[in-house]
Amino acid sequence: MQLQTATATIENCRYCLMCRHVCPVGHITRRETLTPHGWGLTIASVQRGLLTWNLDTVDVLYSCADCGTCRAHCVTDQALPDAIATTRAEVAAQNLAPAAAYKVHRALQEWSNPYEKQVPETVNGQAEIALFVGDDAKYLRPTALESALKLLEAAGVKPVLIGIGRSSGYLASSLGFPETAKMLVQNTLDELKASGARRMLVLTPGDYYAFDRLLTNRLEVEWPQGVELQEVISLLDEKFTAGMLKFKSSDDKRPYAYIDPTHSLRLPARYETPRHLLAGVMPTAGRELFWRKERMHPCGNGALQFITPHISDHLTYARLADTQKAGAQIAITEDPGCLSHLSRHADRFGLYIQGFYELLADHLV
Amino acid sequence: MENNLFLTEMILSELSEIVGPDFVSVKESDKFIYSTDWAWMPQMWLDRGMQLRPPDYIVHPGSAEEISEILEIANKYRIPVVPWGGGSGTQGAALPIFGGILIDTKRMDKIIAIDEKSLTVTAQAGIIIAQLEWALNEKGFMLPHYAASSNCATLGGALAPRGTGTMSTKYGKAEDMVLSMQIVLPTGEIICTPPVPKHAAGPDWFRLFLGAEGNFGIITEATMQLDYLPEARLMRAVLFDDLNKALEVGRLIMTHRLNPFVIRLYDRESTSSHVKKVLGYDYDGAYMVMGFDGDPEIAALQEKKAMVYCQQMGGRDLGRDPGDAWWDHRYDFYYPPKSLKLPWMYGTTETVTTYDKIANLYWAEKKAVEEGFADWNVKFIAHFSHWFHWGVMVYSRFIIEEPPQDAQEALRLHNRVWNAAMQAVMANGGMINEHHGVGLKLSRYMRKQYGEAWPLLLKIKKTIDPNGIMNPGKTGFGF
Repeated sequence: MQLQTATATIENCRYCLMCRHVCPVGHITRRETLTPHGWGLTIASVQRGLLTWNLDTVDVLYSCADCGTCRAHCVTDQALPDAIATTRAEVAAQNLAPAAAYKVHRALQEWSNPYEKQVPETVNGQAEIALFVGDDAKYLRPTALESALKLLEAAGVKPVLIGIGRSSGYLASSLGFPETAKMLVQNTLDELKASGARRMLVLTPGDYYAFDRLLTNRLEVEWPQGVELQEVISLLDEKFTAGMLKFKSSDDKRPYAYIDPTHSLRLPARYETPRHLLAGVMPTAGRELFWRKERMHPCGNGALQFITPHISDHLTYARLADTQKAGAQIAITEDPGCLSHLSRHADRFGLYIQGFYELLADHLV
Repeated sequence: MENNLFLTEMILSELSEIVGPDFVSVKESDKFIYSTDWAWMPQMWLDRGMQLRPPDYIVHPGSAEEISEILEIANKYRIPVVPWGGGSGTQGAALPIFGGILIDTKRMDKIIAIDEKSLTVTAQAGIIIAQLEWALNEKGFMLPHYAASSNCATLGGALAPRGTGTMSTKYGKAEDMVLSMQIVLPTGEIICTPPVPKHAAGPDWFRLFLGAEGNFGIITEATMQLDYLPEARLMRAVLFDDLNKALEVGRLIMTHRLNPFVIRLYDRESTSSHVKKVLGYDYDGAYMVMGFDGDPEIAALQEKKAMVYCQQMGGRDLGRDPGDAWWDHRYDFYYPPKSLKLPWMYGTTETVTTYDKIANLYWAEKKAVEEGFADWNVKFIAHFSHWFHWGVMVYSRFIIEEPPQDAQEALRLHNRVWNAAMQAVMANGGMINEHHGVGLKLSRYMRKQYGEAWPLLLKIKKTIDPNGIMNPGKTGFGF
């Protein structure tokens, strides 16, 4: 995002309170400062010389979850998350970002992921369809990938795997390192090109967003012409609806709830898709969370987990508490990052965390 | 406070003991953000690079008992206390102009009970109205206080300044929906008002706390009347060449109790500017939107009878679409850059009076503002949006697109325009405000507004808040 555009956005948001009620960080902290209006006014006030970037204000700047909830609710489509990322880039360039941000950045530069000292696997082969694996599925929840592949195979799809162990670029962008984000994205796009695929599948709405709007709007990188981007669940739902994918009903009668994964709000057209697929497996209708669909909140994964883990944890607790309050005993979602966070704290809430892809794969006919 | 670090630390320790260290902040970042609310004056001040007086402490209590203990500290040390809900007030009522303890109530956001038989909800006052509404909608109910600030204001914030929502014409103001409240008095007592508002057990003292803007205590809990979500919501738009005739239509509809939930009548200038900008309709005249809701047959009949008055007064039926569009986009007017925004100067000098006076008041205020500040190329726009059996509120606004850049000069000009508007309002039988409240902005007009009755209010304030700690400088009361 250009600095000029970011400034215009900040000027619009600094005194606007219209999306504050949906901001997940504002909701759990109750601090005006940690809301879209608070971030806007903080940045605008640094620009006016009323505040300076110091430990306190930089902590504020890096407490935004970059989840897109504010923008999704904005009638005038203010790209505040992009403006915050642009500001973080300025701060990071001045060596004023939190130490944890630089640590993650170094890992992304060297290993392309923040989890393991391991470079992405080499990609071999060509196919009509590629599947972007990413780092969360590789390192946090490999069973999600295995199950997704099993489902795709049952649907007659054999994708070539790309980006195995590589961050999508979202994390680097969110932390204020756009050049590293571009590098990561470009490496994946190079693999995509080499694979000859005309369609790239992704496992999560977060990855869809990374290669869709983040790529073009925030990083100003062009998506390859003639290549379609699609979520795995969207493809599975097409096959399921067409009768090409069949499931047997689960015997598990325990009440369950589907948790919209982080970034789902950035793709509102997807809300019903996972619920439709679940209805093909689960014997009863799912419970619905209060913070669902157009008011869903993130699960705690994303940049916050590295910079302000206490806020990240509270976001996770809030999703688990919401699930518990809905009367569910099982929480189902597909994002490996979300699953990792939810699983870590599920016991405290007496909940069982179920992988969406794993559930479907286990019930293939 | 800043000159006495020792005392500052002592008080911080005491506040931390009450609410826990995580819920008290003296961070520079928090103090800065809480130094302004949604009023034009402080926003302009910061916009021009000037600092505001921040609170000394921001406290997030979790219960009425904690608020009570905080107030005990405030009384002991004689520290000002500013209650803060959503910070969405336009009159500066939440500004910590003397520093002190700012009490953010948003942690107190629980829904305590929904009585599906009596159709009431009891909730803590820090809940955001939109979030309360979502929860109620899931059970088929609504709290019909649909204010433009619903996304950001708290339940307490709707009651403290006597707020009004879009559907007030049928369902009343927030104060008409409240059955009872829990309040922490300035001296720390936690009291409950009677369980129902309509009775004959003495004077209606519970209304003292509605409109007091925190001066008489902090509302911590409220039981509100609910309604069923309406089966039908019929919207209709009508265009009038003559604003006075449109006003007469509104009067006829209300005095004949046709029960619209909304009548919004934009004057010609507002129609050609704001309605055009936000809704995209290019009408020459006064655009009026009406809505009838509830049972579909009853709503249709009410609308039919209202349309007869419209036709008699020369209104042109625009059909349902411009009415539905208004309903669907009624809050779009408040999203920047569609809304009024800095660096412009603006103010909402809204008022209310009876039908016999409303036309004269509108034209008098318009003249006072437009002629008095022609050099500044001031614009005066208005809509009539909250209708009663006896009168109507006019939401009048002034806009100066090229105000002085110097903050002090801008503030002085802003005050002069307000003076002209308020003098015209009071001279023509209007109240200085209908639903935004008094805050800091209108504080100086309270004595004139109430005349001989004002000392009585001062005595009440002195009795309830003997140390004058609560929200000093607001609602006409001093420190």
